[in-house]
Amino acid sequence: MAEQVISPDLKFVEDVIASGGGDLKKCYQCATCTVVCNVTPDNKPFPRKEMIYAQWGMKDKLISNPDIWLCHQCSDCTAYCPRGAKPGEVLGAVRKLAIQHYSPTPLSKMVGDPKYLLILFAIPVLLFLSYIVPKGYLDVSAIPRGEDGGIVYSKFMPVFPQIDVTFGAAAFFAAVCFVLGIKRYWTDMSSGVGAQGNIADSIKTTISEILAHKRFEKCNVTKDRKIAHLLVFYAFVGLAITTTWAIVYLYGFHYDSPYPLYDPLKLLGNASALALLYGITLVTGNRLKNAEKAGKGSYFDWLFITVIYAIVVTGILSELLRLANIATLAYPTYFAHLVFVFFLFAYAPFSKMAHMVYRATAMVFARHTNRES
Amino acid sequence: MAESNTVVIIGGGFSGLTAAVEAAEAEKDVVIIEKNPYLGGRVAQLNKYFWKLCPPNCGLEIQFKRIKNNARVKIYTLAEVQDIKGEEGNLDVAVKVNPRYVNEKCVACDACAQACPSYRDNTFNFGMDKTKAAYLPFNQAFPMQYVIDRNSCAPNCKACADACKYNAIDLGMKSETINIKAGAVIMAMGWNPYDASKIDNLSFGKVQNVITNMMMERLSAPNGPTQGKIVRPSDGKEVKNIAFVQCAGSRDENHLPFCSYICCLASLKQAMYVREQYPDSKARIFYIDLRTPGLYEHRFLKKAMDDPDITLTKGKVAGINEDPETKDVIVEVEDIFSGSKTEMKFDMVVLATGMEPTTKTSQTIKNVSYTSDGFVDIGAKKGIYPVGTLKNPVDVVRSAQDATSAVIKGIQSLRRI
Repeated sequence: MAEQVISPDLKFVEDVIASGGGDLKKCYQCATCTVVCNVTPDNKPFPRKEMIYAQWGMKDKLISNPDIWLCHQCSDCTAYCPRGAKPGEVLGAVRKLAIQHYSPTPLSKMVGDPKYLLILFAIPVLLFLSYIVPKGYLDVSAIPRGEDGGIVYSKFMPVFPQIDVTFGAAAFFAAVCFVLGIKRYWTDMSSGVGAQGNIADSIKTTISEILAHKRFEKCNVTKDRKIAHLLVFYAFVGLAITTTWAIVYLYGFHYDSPYPLYDPLKLLGNASALALLYGITLVTGNRLKNAEKAGKGSYFDWLFITVIYAIVVTGILSELLRLANIATLAYPTYFAHLVFVFFLFAYAPFSKMAHMVYRATAMVFARHTNRES
Repeated sequence: MAESNTVVIIGGGFSGLTAAVEAAEAEKDVVIIEKNPYLGGRVAQLNKYFWKLCPPNCGLEIQFKRIKNNARVKIYTLAEVQDIKGEEGNLDVAVKVNPRYVNEKCVACDACAQACPSYRDNTFNFGMDKTKAAYLPFNQAFPMQYVIDRNSCAPNCKACADACKYNAIDLGMKSETINIKAGAVIMAMGWNPYDASKIDNLSFGKVQNVITNMMMERLSAPNGPTQGKIVRPSDGKEVKNIAFVQCAGSRDENHLPFCSYICCLASLKQAMYVREQYPDSKARIFYIDLRTPGLYEHRFLKKAMDDPDITLTKGKVAGINEDPETKDVIVEVEDIFSGSKTEMKFDMVVLATGMEPTTKTSQTIKNVSYTSDGFVDIGAKKGIYPVGTLKNPVDVVRSAQDATSAVIKGIQSLRRI
């Protein structure tokens, strides 16, 4: 057998353990995990090899590997693991570290570490306060009302420039970070691996698979996850369409919000919000229900879930309080909603939100290189 | 001096028998309490010992002979200890003796069994065949006395009693509780094979040609259900291509968290049974790590490795299915050295199930404490000494060594006060 020198990155091992892979070292390489896994390819299957790479601190082999993202954390491996090493949780931790590795700013470390949580929230809070404090809007009665005397959020926080410039900039920042991250990831994955076939075909099949959520059907222990994730996914699609639509209304037709409840835009927005609320509640319920078999999840996971929860709850409440004309609660709720939305978008490349981009990329790469057919 | 010169030994398997002969030959009175209708325990069910591949009956016969020739040994079969009271040197052991319905006049002529119209699952052979409700546990049983399984009898049937020429059958026998004064108690209740049906991904009980290692011992034994011919349960086909699944339940937090010590050697041995019986056969052992504890056992592994038709594959089997057409067994495994996940087909698969102490499921003796895995805490109480597999999984040799050392402790308990 050829000699192989391994230079373990001990810091990486510590990071995996600290990021939710706390039982990593219990693994004794029996390969139960790879056998019960229904989503792994048969050749060089995961997650057994990932477990030993992680134990030995072989960071480079792990994070530049598409396999960590082909794993959908069904947790069948964790349920059947004879040692309680929780491979599903370990791969989750490795994915977090991969996101941090490929994202180009120090923000990545901060999003993954609870001690920076307050600072991360302080950024949007101070930003939005800087818009309203000079106008004296901390006093709710000073905020101008609509023509019918109702609450109009755009009079509290104008769409242009405050909202659109802030979120436009956040989205641009996130997009740039994603592009840089994915570029580095793709380069790392490609080194030494020959690509085959047409990349457009790989992208097309990956997208159709994601839209159908086919892979979730292969999970056993957490099979309820498909519907939960599907709801959250399509709710976000619905909300993205709603936002685009609102931009068209505003800049194309000079038609200002708030829109009446029967407006198709409003119908889509509200339906998406309810789907998101239901979906994220299912996500939370499934995680709690499966915690014993699948593991309790990491800070990284729960921060993401909590932020989505906060967005949908503050969003729905903002609308209800506006309709009920309860100004003292409506404005602070809307303010909180903006803060959470900022948190989700601006920090997307460093939070679990990034899974969307990295996993899709890995799936495309796996098809493109015949890792998956 | 203690008030009693008696050592009570609970369990008449190899540990209990060894303790009994050692204590009796040191001139102590011995009472063996055995829950089965026969002595010999798990060893009586084995075909051959590893690593010498000699028949266990040989050693058992020697122990039986030593007991028979020693008037100090009293044996209760079908008996269970219900309670132990008192202190070291002065213990009071309450024993429930269940009826055998056959007395010592029995000459084992088989007339009762021939007359009996009812059948029962043969528990000695793990249900792989049946016996009459009037039966001899196995051909070399000690005591050589038939038993009636009343739960399997036809209502109001007394065909066996009518057929017996020796007045040996008494269907009116009742259970009784006796109290035995003892200076020391040795707990030698041994182990049960782990219930393989609890390991849902290994499909025991669902796929017909998946059996356990203890079933394999019976299947290979000349006094087993097939007279030692290794054939598979579904169709009686000769087993030419066999797989062994190591750590079936052992070293697994979801089942038995400990290593069961014997299973690697048992599978190596059983692979040799098949190879010897069918020279054109192949055997494959799937393992996590092959463990061959002991002085000579690694040579046994070497012997298996030298056979080109015994293949050792690193990777734990974690999925088993049945080919519905052929009833062949399909195992799912990752061959770790080649790094590929594959399915392989076999005539029959043996699960190397582990040892669960009998005290995992039955803890009637309250005087000692138990670990979370059901083992007896070592040194838990003076005067009551657990041995062998009640303390940790061990093989027969180490059980016997442990029983011998426990006898010294028992004798000290008789003399200490």
